[in-house]
Amino acid sequence: MSKKYILGVFDDEATLVDAFEKLKDKGVMPVEVYTPYPVHEILEGMPIKTRITHAAFFYGLFAALGILGFLTYAAVIDWPLRYGGKPFNAFPSFIVVTIVATILSITLLTLFTFSARAKVFPGKKAEIFHERATDDKFVMVFDEDGIANDSESLKAILTEHGKIEKL
Amino acid sequence: MFNSAVRGKLIDGDKSFSQISKEILAPIHAKTPLWWYAAMLVSLGMFGFGLYCKYITISTGIGTWGVNNSVAWGWAIINFVWWIGIGHAGTAFSIFLLILRQKWRTAINRAAEAMTVVAVFCASLFPLLHMGRPWLFFFIFPYPNTRGPLWVNFNSPLFWDFVAISAYLLISASFWYFGMVPDFATIRDTAKSKIKKAVYGFFAFGWTGSSREWLRFEGLSFVLGGIAAVLVVSVHSIVSTDFAVSVQAGWHTTIFPPYFVIGAIFSGFAMVLTLVITMRGLYNMNDFITDRHVDAVCRILIFISLIMGTAYMTEIFIAWYSASEYETYMFFKNRLFGDYAFQFWAMFTANAVIPQLFWFKGVRKRMWIVFIISIIINIGMWFERFNIVVTTLSRDYLPAAWANYSPTYVEVGFFIGTLGMFLAGVLLFFRYIPMIAISELKSVAKFDKPNNGQLKAKSHE
Repeated sequence: MSKKYILGVFDDEATLVDAFEKLKDKGVMPVEVYTPYPVHEILEGMPIKTRITHAAFFYGLFAALGILGFLTYAAVIDWPLRYGGKPFNAFPSFIVVTIVATILSITLLTLFTFSARAKVFPGKKAEIFHERATDDKFVMVFDEDGIANDSESLKAILTEHGKIEKL
Repeated sequence: MFNSAVRGKLIDGDKSFSQISKEILAPIHAKTPLWWYAAMLVSLGMFGFGLYCKYITISTGIGTWGVNNSVAWGWAIINFVWWIGIGHAGTAFSIFLLILRQKWRTAINRAAEAMTVVAVFCASLFPLLHMGRPWLFFFIFPYPNTRGPLWVNFNSPLFWDFVAISAYLLISASFWYFGMVPDFATIRDTAKSKIKKAVYGFFAFGWTGSSREWLRFEGLSFVLGGIAAVLVVSVHSIVSTDFAVSVQAGWHTTIFPPYFVIGAIFSGFAMVLTLVITMRGLYNMNDFITDRHVDAVCRILIFISLIMGTAYMTEIFIAWYSASEYETYMFFKNRLFGDYAFQFWAMFTANAVIPQLFWFKGVRKRMWIVFIISIIINIGMWFERFNIVVTTLSRDYLPAAWANYSPTYVEVGFFIGTLGMFLAGVLLFFRYIPMIAISELKSVAKFDKPNNGQLKAKSHE
């Protein structure tokens, strides 16, 4: 962390959101916002988006096709066996395994996607800006170089309800 | 439910965010109490006896069990279904209450999910040992093998069951774990001891609470929540097909999947009650798991108990209405008044009659009565599985194949071993893991504040 940062530290969600929206109107965006729990106004207001739900849909689609394909291949083409007088391609009874194994695939693949995209994985060292951001503080982080022109109005908005700390 | 002022507050005592973290994490930072060691010793003793019985089962064989040619499924299957049923509540609790936007779930879901993971693990041991040669259990995987390759029978409910249970174990464990990551980060950042910082820091996976993490975390919860709802319903439906697909009187009915799913949620919610009342008592969590939370679970139990009663009646009615000689015999002679009539009436009383006491506010208010009823429900649900498995198998179509069943000490010991394992798991959970989802609880704390805690009159779900 060679850059210089300004932290706006708030005590609750309401004051954080208020300051965040006032700053946004002025065109000043924080580099990152750290909160103890998800705050939806922030998640919607930050210039970030996630396609994890779309990814999950496609994982499900391909997993379902793949699993059903495998069951059909194994039971119809590779080694056909009659079970209880059912046809080789006993489609209705393949559905059960397909559903459950698809759910398993979606879960595991989405977890790995989450881990990779949010960079939350075993052995990662946390980059902590403010020690209490996972406890009871709501922290907005600003890059000092990026906000040089607006620094006065920024400080005024931050100190209205919160505190300023420098790093 | 708790959104409106009518229902009361979610957290008592007007706590600040740091107070919430501190009070929930207190048991982790405190010295281990003496009773904890005593309880751990008892549960490890039970677990050890279970290991001994497993050793006998594996070294000598299934002949050490009380099962016979007619009653080929005994305690192993009864206890398997019982544990899986208990294991359903965790996910059902989190998922269904999430879908129904019940904010009071946040205080209980962590404990319910922990219970799920341990219970499903206990359950999975039974079919494994019932295979007789558990070291060959990998035969059930559909893998390219030197026997053809000869694939497994994809039409068999036993294979479906294997897929469902392993998927359920993996999914509920990962769902539970990823819910805990933000809380591990809270422990890392608030703990004083270096060892705790390092250990919980490792398990926190570098979580910081940034908006980028939360955004994807919300996406992940949305996906897992949506598909786990399907899973909860499908897993116990699949367990029920183990029975319903066979051509046995008393099993071969279409009512089985919903009947099993509801029964599973019933026993699971009862076990959740047992667990959270213990938690309140031992760790003074009354401000988070308030009387109103217990009250809400009791109300759900009344409703499910009524469904259970209806299911029992429906089975009996259909047995008569079907005019099938075997079905009528199974219910009217065998289950209601046969050799195992005690188990039937115990089941009926414990599941359909006694929970109706929850209609009375005086009962719901007294924790020790709620605690006792929750235990009774769990025993009743055990009798339900005994009733389903043993009465049907003990009276085959041919009277020549009739046989009664009673377990040997090896089977009983196996079951006691899983009880010990469950208790040990719960004790470890009490000691080392935040018992209540801290970050989720904080996110609903604002609903207790005037004006919803918002500066502007604007609310978001």
